[in-house]
Amino acid sequence: MNTPFGGVWIVFRRELATVRRTPGYAVLAVGLLVVLGGLVAVGGGGATGFVPAVVDLLLPTEVLVPLLAVVLGYRALFADAASGELAVIRTYPVSAAAYVSGVLLARTVALVALVGGPFALVGAYVWLTAAPDTGIFATHAGVDSPILFVRFVALVVPFGAAYLALSAAVSTIATSRRSAVALGVLALLVGVLGGDLVVLRSLSAGAAPGGIGGALALSPNGAFRGLVFEHVIGVAFAPEGGFVDTGRAVASLVGWTAVGVVAAVASVAFGPRVDVGVERLRERLRR
Amino acid sequence: MAVFDPDSARSRRVRFAVVALVALAAVGTAGAFAADPSESVPEPVRFDDAVELGLSSETDAQMAGDATLPRVQVFYSQLQYVVGYNGIGSFVDSQRDGRTERQFGYPLVAYVETFDHRDPGTTESGLFAATGAGGWTPVSEARYVVGSDALTPSGEVVVPFRNREAAAAFVDDHGGSVVGWESVRTRSFAVDSAATVRSLAPERWRTANERLAAAERRADRPVSVVVGEDAPTIDAAVAAAPPNTTVRVPPGTYEETVTVNRSVTIAGAGSGRVGSAEAPTDDAEATRVVGNGTGSVVTVRAPDIALTGLRIAGTGNETRDPEAARESRDREGKAWDTNIQLGYGHGDAGVKAVRAPGLVIDDVSVDANASGLLLREGSHATVSGLLVEGADEWQDGFMGIAGMESRLTVTDSRFEGGRDGIYLHRADGSVVRNSTFVDNRYGTHLMYTGDALVADNAFRNELFAGVTVMTRPAGNAIVGNDVRNSSAGIQASGTRTYVGYNTLVGNELGFSTSARGSLYEHNVVVGNALGARATTVVPSSRVVANDFVGNADHATAGAGALRVWADGDRGNYWEGANAGPHDPGERAYRPTSPVDAALHREVSAIAVRESPAARLLGRLRGTVPGARSGSIIDPSPAVAPYHPDRVDAVTGAAAGDGPVRADWRSALAVGGNATGTEGSA
Repeated sequence: MNTPFGGVWIVFRRELATVRRTPGYAVLAVGLLVVLGGLVAVGGGGATGFVPAVVDLLLPTEVLVPLLAVVLGYRALFADAASGELAVIRTYPVSAAAYVSGVLLARTVALVALVGGPFALVGAYVWLTAAPDTGIFATHAGVDSPILFVRFVALVVPFGAAYLALSAAVSTIATSRRSAVALGVLALLVGVLGGDLVVLRSLSAGAAPGGIGGALALSPNGAFRGLVFEHVIGVAFAPEGGFVDTGRAVASLVGWTAVGVVAAVASVAFGPRVDVGVERLRERLRR
Repeated sequence: MAVFDPDSARSRRVRFAVVALVALAAVGTAGAFAADPSESVPEPVRFDDAVELGLSSETDAQMAGDATLPRVQVFYSQLQYVVGYNGIGSFVDSQRDGRTERQFGYPLVAYVETFDHRDPGTTESGLFAATGAGGWTPVSEARYVVGSDALTPSGEVVVPFRNREAAAAFVDDHGGSVVGWESVRTRSFAVDSAATVRSLAPERWRTANERLAAAERRADRPVSVVVGEDAPTIDAAVAAAPPNTTVRVPPGTYEETVTVNRSVTIAGAGSGRVGSAEAPTDDAEATRVVGNGTGSVVTVRAPDIALTGLRIAGTGNETRDPEAARESRDREGKAWDTNIQLGYGHGDAGVKAVRAPGLVIDDVSVDANASGLLLREGSHATVSGLLVEGADEWQDGFMGIAGMESRLTVTDSRFEGGRDGIYLHRADGSVVRNSTFVDNRYGTHLMYTGDALVADNAFRNELFAGVTVMTRPAGNAIVGNDVRNSSAGIQASGTRTYVGYNTLVGNELGFSTSARGSLYEHNVVVGNALGARATTVVPSSRVVANDFVGNADHATAGAGALRVWADGDRGNYWEGANAGPHDPGERAYRPTSPVDAALHREVSAIAVRESPAARLLGRLRGTVPGARSGSIIDPSPAVAPYHPDRVDAVTGAAAGDGPVRADWRSALAVGGNATGTEGSA
């Protein structure tokens, strides 16, 4: 606990234990697996290959992964503050940054396990079942390859991490469990629908279509969808690309995560002082 | 718990393991992005294992001697099957058709057959020829000779070589110039399509008119001999008659077999039928020729013979040459084809024609124990008003008309019972029209027969199918037929086939899309157990503007990539497709999805279809079609039937069993507003 890194490690392991003791998360993962598996099985994409499977999964992923991330994040920082444990932790030499990083790292690891697990199982299912309908003719895999599915899952993780960090940051300003839920749902809706609605609105307001690629990359959902089209689904089409600016989209996903972390650190670090400031201001006004 | 002691050895091991795992995952992920899946190029396969599109290989086989076509095999990004093209033109042309990329993705790699060290040259007739089997070279690396004196049956041939020197050597001998792939890719090739066949259908009808008119003139000859007055028997009368005259046969029964060796007309008083398609009723007025129950009753062996007004019975029951037909089990080899020709061509018949071109049959009925009319070795025949009554069990009898290498033109005839109504083997350019087929095994059965027209016929209660085309001929038109209560309506294989304006009612199966690069349009498919079945593994045909009404299942698909049954924004009419609260034609229709398939039968299916899950799945279809299997989608189902009159004629209150006629000839005539579809392979 001598270094800041040591502090992160301690908090990380404490948080991981918390997650492990919450059986509800495992139930969520099972639910996700059922939905994904059902879609791939009923949708028929899984029987043919990885690219059709990703096409089948893209839309539900855009909704379910943020939902799971928000569920993981909406109480991450609020719970400790509400129970008073945060006040205790403050008496130890753990900085706000180390505390927030530790919590979010642990939650991210949980996210990787809870989201990655079902996706990996679905990928394995596709790998086992995808085969041509008939063996009369010579067949080949086309561009279809497990690599594309790995890419997809690799894109799902930063996408979920952005939502996790954002929901955790939002949760720090909650004052009750109920308001934490409300704020989490709000973050989810704004994230999943808001970005695309803004793009649609700006287009109908007369924005140049040339700017779509850039505007799309700004919201986490747009960035994720663009990257999936660019690096997974688009590979099956003529090699043109240009669904989204890859660098910008990646920066957007990383950026949203960073914004969440920084906001959460700031809120944890300066929140009490703001409270004190507000109290003082109130006192002064009352006089 | 020791895990919480940060300094224990176990914790350190855990930490190390975690770091190693993270590193591994990072490297794996980075690798997934670094690797380019489209760069793994598959090796060429045996051409026989590819799914062939473009020109039929039988066209190839028919080319004289060792003539050959440069072939291409293509690996598409979305398609699991390797596609083979006969002729570079077929491949280049397919790349210009936007549907190819939409359905199969882009070509990952295409290999062309190269002719270095294969003695490339020409046959005596100028067709491109080569020996042996060459290597496969990626199209972009090969060199191509264009403008040489080598030809294919359809025009110029582009000859690929691996090395520039070999190409230059070919140019020295045969002229032309050497170009690269970029130049070949942008050339335009004259590639026939099913749309060409469609436009030719009315012309074939007119050609049949001309043949029939010419036959009528040919048969009209002065009477030279009257049987019973000038000669005791028909056989004797024919022997006495000078060429180009008529032997008149008064009413009565003549128990004899006749052999005709000269160009005469044998004119009986009539087959005793009232109307062309009715059974004989008037025995007293008929001229009856009755054989002795062995062999054929009338045998013709000279050009331009005409037989009119006869009723024939007493044929033998030998259906084919037992020696030759015995070895016909192996359907794959050439032996099978030969055996069929030898076997099927040598049975007994009411009228048997051998090397008798210009044969005219008019108002003749045959009570057949084997075949009614047997044509062999170029006995091009014109038939009108023929009635063949075959055996009750098809195994006992044979064909109404069996034509081997003989072009047949049939109109206003009727075929009841027996094996096949009309069986044609290598009879290119035949026309079968305005005829009725009842209780046969197959109504009309084409083998190795291309460029034929089967039009405006009625088929009833056929045991296997109304119209069937086997082997892989090209350019057949099957138009305006009415098939009911049969196992299958139309099953046509081959390429560039036009199946249009047919009315298929109450069959086990309406039609199958077995012919490749073909056009299936304006068919009315009503009340069948299964409306249509998609069969070819790689979709290459257009199915558009058909009306599917009241079938238990509208359509199913066999193995293979997703079939998109529409042409641009024009789809088919599917009863039930537009049920539910949305704008008509807005929702794609998938006849192979269990929910959509039930829409016209179960009202509750509409509620299921509106569920978020069904809607979501519905949205996802149609993307990367080449990589979807075993289903059919119509992205823009029609709001109303294309042919409500014909649908009404078979479902409405006044529906009868009489054949429904489609006015396809005026619709397909030049300038007709039938359709804007452009067919292509």
